[in-house]
Order: sequence, then structure tokens, then C-alpha cells
Amino acid sequence: MEALSPTMEEGKIAAWLKREGDTVEAGDTLAEVETDKAVMDLQARGHGVLRKIIVGEGATTEVGNLVAVIAGPDEDISHILSEAADATGAAAGAEPAALTATAPAPTAAGESAAGRIKASPLARRLAREKGLDLAVVAGSGPGGRVVKRDIEAALPAGVPAAPAAVELAPGGYEDIEPSQLRKTIAKRLVQSLGPVPHFFLTTEIDMERAAEARDALNALGDTKVSFNDIVVKVVAQALITHRECNAWWQDSHVRYFNDVHISMAVAIDDGLITPVIRNANRKSLREIAVESRALAERARNRKLLPEEYTGGTFSISNLGMLGIDEFTAVINPPEAGILAVGAMTPKPVVHEGSVTVRRRMRVTMSCDHRVIDGAMGARFLQTVKRMLENPLAIVW
Amino acid sequence: MSSELAVVGLGRMPYGEALALQRDLAQRRIAREITRDMLLLVEHPPVITLGRGFKPEHLAAPREFLDARGVELFEIERGGDVTFHGPGQLVGYPIYDLSEHEQDVHWFLRQLEAALIAALAELGVEVRRNEGYTGVWIGNRKIASIGIHVKRWVTWHGFALNVTTDLSYFDLIVPCGIAGVTMTTVQKELAERAPRDLWGRAVDCTVLGFAEVFRQRPQMLSLEELAVRQER
Repeated sequence: MEALSPTMEEGKIAAWLKREGDTVEAGDTLAEVETDKAVMDLQARGHGVLRKIIVGEGATTEVGNLVAVIAGPDEDISHILSEAADATGAAAGAEPAALTATAPAPTAAGESAAGRIKASPLARRLAREKGLDLAVVAGSGPGGRVVKRDIEAALPAGVPAAPAAVELAPGGYEDIEPSQLRKTIAKRLVQSLGPVPHFFLTTEIDMERAAEARDALNALGDTKVSFNDIVVKVVAQALITHRECNAWWQDSHVRYFNDVHISMAVAIDDGLITPVIRNANRKSLREIAVESRALAERARNRKLLPEEYTGGTFSISNLGMLGIDEFTAVINPPEAGILAVGAMTPKPVVHEGSVTVRRRMRVTMSCDHRVIDGAMGARFLQTVKRMLENPLAIVW
Repeated sequence: MSSELAVVGLGRMPYGEALALQRDLAQRRIAREITRDMLLLVEHPPVITLGRGFKPEHLAAPREFLDARGVELFEIERGGDVTFHGPGQLVGYPIYDLSEHEQDVHWFLRQLEAALIAALAELGVEVRRNEGYTGVWIGNRKIASIGIHVKRWVTWHGFALNVTTDLSYFDLIVPCGIAGVTMTTVQKELAERAPRDLWGRAVDCTVLGFAEVFRQRPQMLSLEELAVRQER
């Protein structure tokens, strides 16, 4: 019986596909062997004639035992058969039900067990686990086969069975049942990274002029505008130009939207939620600033209504305020894209022929490849970059 | 490592047809005409199948009686004893090339169990393995059965998960050849906690379970798409 699978210890002959007297070629399926709830093919390792079937259909035998003899048509196989019979007799007391012939399955190709140590798979595994060389273990099983008890006997007393595991101090960790929200997030993200073929596009944007514009606007008083508001406004406007990125994957079709509804990832105590700024393409920067502040506030107080956090067409996630330079975000299905916005950091750059320090921001767009192709996403990102680098485009 | 899993929903399909289909796909996977793993999901009209480990006494009802109830009977090459498939049971045929994973059928059987356990957990059913008995159990109640065939490290046949199965059919057999086994369904276990679209949820959760356990990206395909993609 061949170990058809590394952890197989015994196999049951489910069916013989060849009969005694049949000619077999290497690779022919001799029998079907069942182990656990799997049926596998037992293939011939050499060619010749199937002279004798030793383990009949429905019988179970250990790996390493003789199940049949393939030999030349006139070759004398009596010694193999008698050896098999002896072994069967010797072991009969211990395991009356199983056939325990021990000769390695001989083949006409002469692939005998020469040089190979006979050991049960369990013994092999144990030896491997304990770092024991099988060659130094005396086998006490049938035909000198190394079995489990030999390995156990060969191990020095007192040696731990496995390297002692690093003990975790009590209190070293805490198991917390995930909240329903955390579970829902987990499920949605798995749904996303699982079936959605993501790809990512990153670009670095010069934010000097956007910063100047923001300072100028905020100097006007009442409403404060954040960089994120500017990004929302620019993305919404760019998506109108690049409608192909403002879409939902719907399995049977792709739904392209006329208006842009921006899902804005907001961190809350035990997770995140994405309130939606509806028709962001039709709103002024000031309106977006007011609305995003109100939505974020309501999100943190868990006051959002379902219609306020569903139905977005594109997402923006900003971890800049947490000092993250650059990251990739997971698409929020069925939306086809999300823009991950990093921190604005002063960097030395070549500007108009000389090295100066300018505020730069890295953004990464995750695209659902079923909807957006590389060049398509890149063109959209280029528009976003151009607009942020020349914020007057917002009023263009 | 085959990181893509083509998930093919066959809907309601007679056993014989699905059997021919999976044998054909497995052959093509062996011949490497198809280069990715597949998971066929199907629901069968009532049928009893006899695996290689079949013992005649485990078929409790006479064949005439089966005919009268419209139950088909097949003798097939998978491992395991006798089992029943029928409406409300989600049957999955994973056609995997284990040479791209682990060349170990026991590993694969444990993975199948893990995928189903993950799916059931997602549905809200707490389950565990029953040491020595392949399949998925809740205490001594069996909710899913497993039996596979492996040739050149390519698997076929697979699992049967009772979602809303009419369990009275199991009285016709001794399930899996284990006397005294009680079968159960997801619906029975969840009772009033069962979601409205239980079947759809069960399908989704099973696909997610496979994605998680085999670390594969599932892609829902129709048979036509699978064929077209192969030709490319």
C-alpha cells in the first residue's frame, strides 16, 4: 500500500480496476483506494503482469504493506508470496483483521525499498517532529519496520515532546467579541478584497497653491474649509469629467451615475462609517465644508440614518490627520473606486528650476478592474492632480 | 498556488447531469486545459448516491420504494458510504488541483470542513468537527457531509450542506453508514433567527468560507463564461 497522501496511514481497497493476469503499464490505475472520505487511484509503478492480488476489495491495510504483485509473466514470485504469508501469520495475533504482509510492493522495474528505511508514516512524522534520524532507530515492527513505539523508545527520557512553547503571561492579551459593526465591516471588506479585483494608482500632488487658497478662504471668516473638503470638491468635479470612474459594478451591468455622491470614511470609536455627501458635484466648496462637518459629527454621535451612509458612488478616505503619508484603501462595493489621501508634508522638490521646500500630498486610488482600467484611472487621477495644483479650476 | 477560484452556480440540476459535468471538468483540470480551481454549486432533485464505501444494509428502503418517491439512485466513485441529496441542500463540487496546494487529501478534507465551519459561523450556527468522522457536526447532529475522489491530485465530488433540506428523506438510508446519526439543517438550527433569504445567504457564506480557508479570490462565473475564458 502506497502512501497516496502524506498523512495517510492505512488504505482500504475500494475496487480493483485490474484483474489477476492483466498486463499493466506504469501509470495504469490498478485500484481505487479509500482513506478517510477520499477515494484515490493507486497507480502501477512498473510494468508487467498483475500476478497476484493480496488485499481484496473492501479490505484495509497499513501503508507499506503488500497489496499485490506485479512481475514478469513467468517470473517466480513464490518467495514474495511466502514472505507475505509469513508476515501475515506472524502479525495475525496482533491484528487479525488486517493483512500485514510486509514486503515492499515489488515491481518489475525493480523499484524495491533498497536504501530506504522502512517506517510507518506516523513514525516518520514523529521522528521529523522530534528531530530524530530514522536510520539510528531499530525497528520492531513487521519486517524491521520502524513504528511509533520505536521512536518513543529512542527518545531520551525527560526530553519534552516539542520545544516548549513561549508561555504567554496571563493578562498578555484580551479577547474581545467583535461588535456587530466590526463584524459588518469585516464582512464587507472581505467581500471587497475577495471578489473585487483591486489595483492601485499612486501620485504625489503639490499642495502649495491649494494651501494658499484654503488660507485665503478661511481668512474670509465664518465657515472653515479643510483640505479634505477641497479634495472632496475636486474629486467630485473630476468624476463628472471622468464618468467612467463614477460607477457601480452590478454583476450583470455597470451603472454609471450622472451625479457624484461621495462616501467619506469617518473614523468612529469602534470602526468606521461612510456618510455620503450627495450631489457633491453640484455643491460649492462652502456647502461641502458645512455638510461634511455635520455628517462627521452625526457619525461620531451615531446619529446617522441609513440613507445618510448608503448610496455613495465613490469613496474618499483620509488618514492625513493621523500622520499617514500614504496608504491603500479597500473599495466599498459596489463602488468602483476609492481615493486614499495621505498627510501633507513639506518636502524638498525641484520647482521652476531650483530646489525648494513645498507641501506635498500622496494619494492612492484603488480601482475595481472590472469597471476601471489602468489608463482610465490614471487619467482621472491626473485631472484630480491638475485641479489640486491649480485650485482655481474649481470655479472654472 | 491557485489564487483564483471560479465559482459556478448550476442552479437546480439532476444528479446525473452534474456528475457528467464535474467528471468532464475534472478531466480537463487533470489535462490542464483548465488552469484554475473551480467550485460548482448545485441543488439536486431527490437522489441517493452510493460511495465506494457503500454497504448494502445502509440503504434502508427497497429500490421500488425509492422509485415510487421519485428518488434516483447512483453508484459513484467518491469516498464514503451512502448519502442523500435533494431540494434545500447546497451541494458543492470543488474541483481543485492539490498539486497547487498541498498534496495531502486529509489536509483537503480538513480544509473543506474548515470552509463549511466558517460559512456556518457566518450564518450564526456554531459547529465543530467530530474527531474521526469527516463532515460537520453540531453535537451529534450532522449538518454537512463530505466525500471526494482524487485522481492525479485533482479532486471532485465534495460536500452537501443541509440548508432547508426535508430530512424525512434521510430515513431512507443510514447516513454515511453511521447508525444513530441525526441529520439537521441550518434552518432548524437557526429557527427564528434564520434570515429571510437563507438560501442566498448560505451560498454567499459558503463562497466566502472557501475564499477565506483556501485564501482564494472567488469569481462568480457561468458555465459559458468558464468555457469562453478557457478558449482564450
